[in-house]
Amino acid sequence: MTFVDFLNLLIAALLLAGTYAVMSVGMTVIYGVMKIVNLAHAGFMMMGAYFAYELYELLHIDPILAALLAFPFFFLVGIALHWLLVRWLPHSDRPTLQSLLLMFGIWLVLQNIGYLVWGNTDRSILTPRTLAIIHLGPITISTLRLVVFVAAVGCMAVLEIALSRTWFGRSVRALIQNRYAGRIVGVDDEKTARLTFGMGIAFAGVAGALLATLFSFDPDFGRPFLLRAFVIIVLGGLESVSGVALGAVILALVETFSILFVPAQYQPAISFGMLVVVLVVLPGGIASLWAKRRRLA
Amino acid sequence: MSTSVFAPSRLERRTQALLPWLLLAVLALLPTAGLSANIIRLFFITFVWVTSSLGWNLLGGFAGQVSFGFAVFYGLGAYTAALMIDRGVNPYLSFLAAGLIPALASVLIGLPTFRLRGPYFAIATIGVSEATRVIMNNLAITGGASGFRIMEHRPFRQVEHYYTALAVAAVAVAASVLITQSKFGMGLRAIKQDEDAAADLGVNPYSYKLAIHAVAAAFTGVAGGVFARYAAFIYPQGVFAFQTSVYILLMPVIGGIGTVWGAVLGGVVFGIVEEQLVASFPQIHLLLYGLLLILIILLEPGGLAGLLGKLFRRLRTPKRKNGNTYSGSREADEVLRRAGRG
Repeated sequence: MTFVDFLNLLIAALLLAGTYAVMSVGMTVIYGVMKIVNLAHAGFMMMGAYFAYELYELLHIDPILAALLAFPFFFLVGIALHWLLVRWLPHSDRPTLQSLLLMFGIWLVLQNIGYLVWGNTDRSILTPRTLAIIHLGPITISTLRLVVFVAAVGCMAVLEIALSRTWFGRSVRALIQNRYAGRIVGVDDEKTARLTFGMGIAFAGVAGALLATLFSFDPDFGRPFLLRAFVIIVLGGLESVSGVALGAVILALVETFSILFVPAQYQPAISFGMLVVVLVVLPGGIASLWAKRRRLA
Repeated sequence: MSTSVFAPSRLERRTQALLPWLLLAVLALLPTAGLSANIIRLFFITFVWVTSSLGWNLLGGFAGQVSFGFAVFYGLGAYTAALMIDRGVNPYLSFLAAGLIPALASVLIGLPTFRLRGPYFAIATIGVSEATRVIMNNLAITGGASGFRIMEHRPFRQVEHYYTALAVAAVAVAASVLITQSKFGMGLRAIKQDEDAAADLGVNPYSYKLAIHAVAAAFTGVAGGVFARYAAFIYPQGVFAFQTSVYILLMPVIGGIGTVWGAVLGGVVFGIVEEQLVASFPQIHLLLYGLLLILIILLEPGGLAGLLGKLFRRLRTPKRKNGNTYSGSREADEVLRRAGRG
């Protein structure tokens, strides 16, 4: 492998990481505040993909713009879903199997609504941008991936500002740290949970729309990405937004560079296998490595 | 927690103990009634599903470890039986192997993943299941994406398949009942309620979970093997599919998680509904099950069996004038249900 190949792969991995981060961060906030493992995330990613597809096909709205429009749309969907179903779950400081199975049921329903409406043929969004390339000397960058990356980083930046600068963000961080203490100092946990759930679903929709511009999709679209999102949030330490960015970069690097060692048809097994390995070996995430070393020193 | 809060009379207990045997006798005589091949097939498929459902229920229902990875065992069982029968090994010997190999695999899977608890275990099993599917789909021995055709050098007799599946399902029921009544089963229930407390009382959660995982995998594997011999054609994207894991999980959860008859009911309902719906509206089938799952999780954690039990009890309880027909049993139900939820 030449140095140029290496750089190309590295850039491709980093660009992919942006989308991966957006895809995972929705699960992280929901897990952090509500301790719910949101399996329905996959269903909403799929719906986000079809959202962008329909807007492009029917109204000729640019898919990147559609991804941004997906945010308010899926935010409302998430709030409605929380009001209708999720708030009836018993509160718990640990993730419960009940909540896992409820979200799984929602995923099943979404997926099969997808099959009913769109059938099981693969769809894709093709714009003039899809195959365009930017040349930077010997390095080539896909324009589309660059645009998607910029949109993804923009989303992450907005989230980071919302979490660090607003009252809502403060309550979210308080509840992530300690739900009980948060309530004592007057955080409205019910309202924060509702908004957080809406935000988590909104990020799923945005990520689905962004991914739909890069890959073809069918109603089962979210599943492999759901597993990747798990890997990322476990690597990131489950509850931290900056951890998600780190986890996304690691997974994207591993996936991209594994092409050199693993036959392409076994490629999907990497993220699936990594999920098990990471859960078992590094349940506290990457940060626990540093923490351990510090304790030893 | 299907046991009635009211103490059943001796006669009732005796009839309750007789019912399963009666059911078995009826099912054993059924093929002699001259039913169409299609109905026999429906029963066969239902027995296969009931067996897998009972298998999952051993781990998920009794020990409270929800797994999204039972397609691994179903698929391994199916392929073990298929490869052996295809090479001319006696089919019944192959079924034994179809139980053994998944049981071994379950230990390999369980050793790392049972370090995780509750939802983390569940998520890890999704990873195991998906990785297995990808690998199996690319191995030459499984026939890859084009599948594997089983050549059995024996005449095809549908009734033989029927009785095999019935026997396997009956053994699964018997084993489930025996396990619930044993000390081992009590240990599993303790783990489901509180793992740490169980460990304090001298139950080793890790080895208990490994053991029940192996038994569960064995039953699911045999079910897969029995199915493979009947179908005579299997492919990795079918038997190892995430969908298969989902089916196997949905049956006992919807039927009534943690109870033997709930798991059986779930398998029966699933088998019949699947056969009627899957051919014409495959999506509506799973859509219905998704909705049912949501309703059951939020409203009736006891599943269909719990719902039936409630109906039955309400019918049997004489109505009192003051309108308080339940007098305490609802509280008792609540306590039992909380205890069972884990």
